[in-house]
Amino acid sequence: MSDDRDMTDEPHDLAAEYALGVLAGDELRRAQELARTDSGFRDEVARWAGRLGPMLEDVEPVQPPEDAWGAIRERIEGGVEGGNVVQLRRRVTQWRGIAAAMTALAACLAIFIVVRPLPPVQTSTQPPQAVPAAAPMLAMLGTGQQGTKVVATWDPAARQLVLAVTGEMPSDTRHSHELWVIPPGGKPQSLGTMDKGKQMHMRLADALAQLLQQGATIAISVEPRGGSPSGAPTGPVVASGALTRA
Amino acid sequence: MGDCMARRPPSADLVFSRSTQVGMKRRMDRPVDFQTGSADLAALLSASARGDRAAFAALYQRTSAKLYGICLRLLGSEAEAQDVLQDVYVLVWHKAASFDSGKASAITWLATVARNKSIDRLRRRKLPSDGLDAAAEIEDDSPTAFELIGEAQEAARLGRCLDELEERARSMIRAAFLDGATYPELADREGVPLGTMKSWIRRGLLRLRGCLER
Repeated sequence: MSDDRDMTDEPHDLAAEYALGVLAGDELRRAQELARTDSGFRDEVARWAGRLGPMLEDVEPVQPPEDAWGAIRERIEGGVEGGNVVQLRRRVTQWRGIAAAMTALAACLAIFIVVRPLPPVQTSTQPPQAVPAAAPMLAMLGTGQQGTKVVATWDPAARQLVLAVTGEMPSDTRHSHELWVIPPGGKPQSLGTMDKGKQMHMRLADALAQLLQQGATIAISVEPRGGSPSGAPTGPVVASGALTRA
Repeated sequence: MGDCMARRPPSADLVFSRSTQVGMKRRMDRPVDFQTGSADLAALLSASARGDRAAFAALYQRTSAKLYGICLRLLGSEAEAQDVLQDVYVLVWHKAASFDSGKASAITWLATVARNKSIDRLRRRKLPSDGLDAAAEIEDDSPTAFELIGEAQEAARLGRCLDELEERARSMIRAAFLDGATYPELADREGVPLGTMKSWIRRGLLRLRGCLER
């Protein structure tokens, strides 16, 4: 027999070939046309897909990269692009988990800053207490400057505060940015000074953790290099925002 | 501040975020503890259909290695496979309600979605740049195949029936299905005329159907 001959006279099952995925050219177009117009053909293709499908179980599993899940989650949440803080807040509200907040920050924020904690301030009136696990909290610190935002996330379970900056905080060599927590009706307490360009993870003492839990305000002031000499803010506040439950 | 903790039920999202990280290392064929115990894939799919994100995250944990393996096998490129894997899960999230546990096993359904999406990509890649109409056609085709997956009990017999085929028919059918190769590509690959390749596979498929319907 001629090997080049297309054996159209040979019995064959177009639905099977279509489901298997071997068709090309005119045959493929014919099958596609049938799939659109003929429900019997469609059912037959589906039956074949079911028959052949179990072959897929033989395929070796491969662990996808860790960031694949984050990308999928973003897309099912309605597509969030870039570092829009309003969207970020919505997303974080939606997902609530602190890990979600971390992922969002990592995805959205290009520049991280480090806070070098000063020795934790213990208030004499408030004995340290264990802080029970609670929902993570989030503060958006507006800077009044286009493109510069600071996002603080507080994970009570880990007693960890994470700070991240988008854009550039105005700075010079003679001054430092100092981070403060201001409890409702209380005095600002220092959380330390910030250095640019690095990621910050800060574990807080119980007393400070308690303050954050109460829905404190986080603020950043400009202080002499090394931090406020008095223990209270002396320079202008360049960013502030209230911690709210994410 | 007491109320900020007391009011809040244990957060499912926290459960999910923790288990997402842990689950990455877990073998996917093992049942996973999902909040109240082990949940099977079909249950996770129907919970996902109701918008349960924790269930969807658990579903991802348990199936992503399998589905990524399929995408990678078909596409051969990690970047494309990752891209398609996203499309697959986004589609699963939106179409989870169309899964019918009476018609197919959950993993077969998911695997078929992964294969269809990968084939879409594969075919589009092969098209000339002016083939946009054809690409649209292929895209439109893909839902058809997974709306109605065949019956689960048929699935169990496939391995045995494939074993009954001639070696070359079996290996060509597998190559077609798992590599996304078409008749012309398989003929080329094996160095046989197109007609010969068609003949091998067509006979194999007919025999396969005969066996599966016995």
